[in-house]
Amino acid sequence: MISSDVIRGYNDTIILYLLLDHPSYGYEISKKIKEMSDEKYIIKETTLYSAFNRLQKNGYVESFYQEQSHGKRRTYYRITESGVNYYYEKCQEWEVTKEVINQFIKEVNFK
Amino acid sequence: MNTIISYLDNMFRNLPKTQEMEKLKEEILANMEDKYHELLSDGKKENEAIGIVISEFGNIDELIEEFEVEQQHVGDEKSLPFMSEEEVNDYLRMNKRSAKMIGLGVMLCILAPALLIITNQFIFGFDESFGGVAGLVPLFLFIAVAVVLFIYAGMEMEKYKYIEYGVEIPREIRSMLQQKNEDYHPTFVKFLIVGVVLILLAPLTLIVISTLLGADAGSIGVFVLLSMVALAVYIFVYFGMVRDGYRKLLRIGEYSKKEKEENRVIDAASSIIWPLAVVIFLISGFIYEAWAINWLIFPITALLSAMFYGAYKLLKTNGR
Repeated sequence: MISSDVIRGYNDTIILYLLLDHPSYGYEISKKIKEMSDEKYIIKETTLYSAFNRLQKNGYVESFYQEQSHGKRRTYYRITESGVNYYYEKCQEWEVTKEVINQFIKEVNFK
Repeated sequence: MNTIISYLDNMFRNLPKTQEMEKLKEEILANMEDKYHELLSDGKKENEAIGIVISEFGNIDELIEEFEVEQQHVGDEKSLPFMSEEEVNDYLRMNKRSAKMIGLGVMLCILAPALLIITNQFIFGFDESFGGVAGLVPLFLFIAVAVVLFIYAGMEMEKYKYIEYGVEIPREIRSMLQQKNEDYHPTFVKFLIVGVVLILLAPLTLIVISTLLGADAGSIGVFVLLSMVALAVYIFVYFGMVRDGYRKLLRIGEYSKKEKEENRVIDAASSIIWPLAVVIFLISGFIYEAWAINWLIFPITALLSAMFYGAYKLLKTNGR
């Protein structure tokens, strides 16, 4: 389990990545994060919705309603063009971050 | 599931009850619900599933910070009772059901004397006072059933009484209700007109039947008249109550004091007029043996009150 402090700066990136192909909604996104991280990262509801709010305010995603098969209405999120650009910026930023942090990481034998 | 709902309610308790917050809460609840059901179908025990769902909720401070909301404390402001989507739907369903029951009850009250007149005429004849007495049996039976319906419907709706004092409804459900209410308006007006036409035609039918079949058929005419009035009143009651259900939730036309007062006036008037009519009918029958003519009190009462009710409703609808 990863602590949410470590990953904080990259929640937005993760969510944007999951919206690249098609719009999605809260639960689907949190489920995918869990699956893709091999259950090492489980995003909290409050973290998820703070991120949605932030992304929407910055114009990186748009929300819309969609009926689901069983009649429930859900808020879906769709990535915008500036959202896609922002995502790629963050990817570049991560590459640099990774290099920098790696300079300070020792190979540790966990056994 | 209730544990999760009350957990979430608690978490949001101190947040302002804005539309934004309600929407957020609804969304999060939907997610938690999905998660909960999926955990159950994965074979988790109920308690375990609830525990996982709640532990993955996170920290409410995160939302407060992000949404820059000012924290409120319970009791600072008079908060209205909250109604969830389920409760709203339950209420609408119950309201329709009790509208049917009350409508049916009123209909029975009007049909009871109609039946009495018919049984008197065709089974016993008007002159024998025995006929009058025997005819009373179905009359009281109908009224008894009606009273049971009234009491039952009243009891069912009692728990929704608080709605009249205002409720908090999530924005999405509110807009759904607004849509429903707008969609319903043409239906309501259409049936209101049908009801008014029925009432206007009712005396005409009586005249036509009496003219065509002779004065002896007067009781058939009255029966038809009362049946038409009963149907019209059912329409007024049913469609009026269903409409009022939406309006109460949405607080349109303001469930204001003035209007409540007016409704009370109508309720009070009809709860006096009808029993009074029955009393006059019975007294004139038993004491003055006026069975041949005294039944006229019912069609007259029915017509007058139905006209009053119809005109009143129509005026109120146009006045808004």
